[in-house]
Amino acid sequence: MTTFKLGYAIDQWKPQFDDFVRRRDHERALKTIAIAGFSGVQLTAGTGRWQPLGNPQQLEANFGSVDGFGEFVRSCALEAVAAYVVDPGQGFHEDLSHGADARSPANRDAVVATCGWFAQAVARTGGDILVCRPAPSGAAGKADDAAIKALAECWNTVGRATAELGVTTTLRFDFLSCLRLADGWDRLLAALDPALVGLALDTGELAAAGRDPLAEIERSPLPLRHVILSNARATDELDEFTRPGAEFTVRQSGGQRGIPRWFGELEEPGLVDPAAVLAALGRLGYGGWVVVNTAPSPHPATSALLSGYHLHQILLPALAGSAS
Amino acid sequence: MGERAIKWSYMDHWRSAGPAGPIDQWHDRASMSRFLKQIKAAGFDAIDTFDFRFWQITGDYGSVANYQDFVREHGLERIVNTFHAADYDPRSYAPHVPETHAAILEDFRVTMDRWSGIRLDNIIVMPATLYYDMEPVTPDKIKTTADLWNAVGEITLQWGVKLTCHHEFFCGIQSRPDLDLFYAGSDPRYVNLFVDTAQHCITSVDPVDFYTAYADRVTGFHFKDTRNRASGDDHRHRPDSEIMAPTTDKWFYEMGTDEGLVDFEAMMRAVRDNGYRGWISVEHDKANKAGGDYAESTAISRWYAEHVLSRIYR
Repeated sequence: MTTFKLGYAIDQWKPQFDDFVRRRDHERALKTIAIAGFSGVQLTAGTGRWQPLGNPQQLEANFGSVDGFGEFVRSCALEAVAAYVVDPGQGFHEDLSHGADARSPANRDAVVATCGWFAQAVARTGGDILVCRPAPSGAAGKADDAAIKALAECWNTVGRATAELGVTTTLRFDFLSCLRLADGWDRLLAALDPALVGLALDTGELAAAGRDPLAEIERSPLPLRHVILSNARATDELDEFTRPGAEFTVRQSGGQRGIPRWFGELEEPGLVDPAAVLAALGRLGYGGWVVVNTAPSPHPATSALLSGYHLHQILLPALAGSAS
Repeated sequence: MGERAIKWSYMDHWRSAGPAGPIDQWHDRASMSRFLKQIKAAGFDAIDTFDFRFWQITGDYGSVANYQDFVREHGLERIVNTFHAADYDPRSYAPHVPETHAAILEDFRVTMDRWSGIRLDNIIVMPATLYYDMEPVTPDKIKTTADLWNAVGEITLQWGVKLTCHHEFFCGIQSRPDLDLFYAGSDPRYVNLFVDTAQHCITSVDPVDFYTAYADRVTGFHFKDTRNRASGDDHRHRPDSEIMAPTTDKWFYEMGTDEGLVDFEAMMRAVRDNGYRGWISVEHDKANKAGGDYAESTAISRWYAEHVLSRIYR
């Protein structure tokens, strides 16, 4: 018997700003997620009127209130917003902010404020996890000791602040992160206070960076508080994460090798072994969310249904069989 | 049927994107597997199919039974119904033309033999030819048509399969008076009714009322929605009214949306109140037209079945 909860990331439904903007689209996506066998939805931060699910102000504008959005989620037969994924480096039209690099101590208050804004929304929509991008992409260069110290102090402070709201701050490594340089990720994990900050394990992002998600589960000094189950199709072998604008030139357009889709279906042969990941989570007694993310997908509903099938018909029965 | 009175089957219309353009699930085993996984993931118990798929089935799977095994490997129970989509022609194959009956009877003997490797509940037919080929629709033509299906039903029962009639909005027997005449003239032992909620709604025949009137002859349903009722000559355009009717570009939609005309909750209450136990098939043919997506429509319809209709009757 597994103890974790299953969620799905909304990202794949919104490839461009003018996609997925109508209530009808949101309703159909949430109902698809629900009938595919998931009980939560993971949101990703965005800004502006064309991002109706992008931040608390837009939720209020579109659904009357954050609580109203929570009711909308439940009306589609989902239990909760599993998590909000936030990159504090992103600016928001809503408060005229331009993004804050957590490596600078001067930005700490801004990062805390942004994360607190989202944590409140999570708490009011049935969730308790905030997933944060700890540092910018590789073009920012390696994080030196001062930067690691500033990052750790920043995220510890964020963790302390969101805990007061009943929300756990977690950090998610991504394959474009500057923390790939000079062992930045491992140095940051070691510097954080595990009582304040948890790990958000994104299996595909780790694999795309050449890291082993299973090893991450076993050796992380931070407690595992959130899992994003994604399957990488390719590794950034050319270290293109250091290119300027890698979010666009590498993640979206595939870099020099023209990778059409970095992350595929769970059922496809890829760089992640979802069965092994779930088995490792089972051994840990992990009880948090496992959120499937197949973004970008050319066919979101198909991806959600195939993921539901693979989890409920293949992976979870196998896990239950091995445990009995 | 176990604890549930109702099980849900999916009528297997499907399209997805292939590397060279749209494909259906019969493209190869991989595309079939992806289709079946999605149907199972959405919570369906089984599928329906068309019997004209026989050649693809024997080519790819060896036999109908082998294909059903492949379906079962994906967690689905079986193939429940097959739809016999005849290419009607008054010169050679038309239920109201007695001279064509021998050919039609032989067609069913051959078809039933081909599908004898599995257990089917129903073979579904459109019982009349296209409206424009049957008009004027007279009591005599309806009686001739009923006589044919009595004989066909007797044949299909020899294979343990019920003959059941599905009245498209563009077929010759679709108005309520003509429907009543047809069922009065056909033998309840051999001729059953398969209620397609959208088709009847399009012809302004209330599917709930119609079902209730013939509940003891109903052997299945297509739960499908529409957003338009036919008007004027919509039902009698050559060569195919579904394509040529000038009022409507897309006739059929998945159930479970606000825009639909079918009252599915009333339909489900009627199903419950008539004590129906068995399969309900969900259908939304051409779901991918006008920007639609089969996977999404299938998820939405199944969500509605699970979270709305099953609360009325399950």
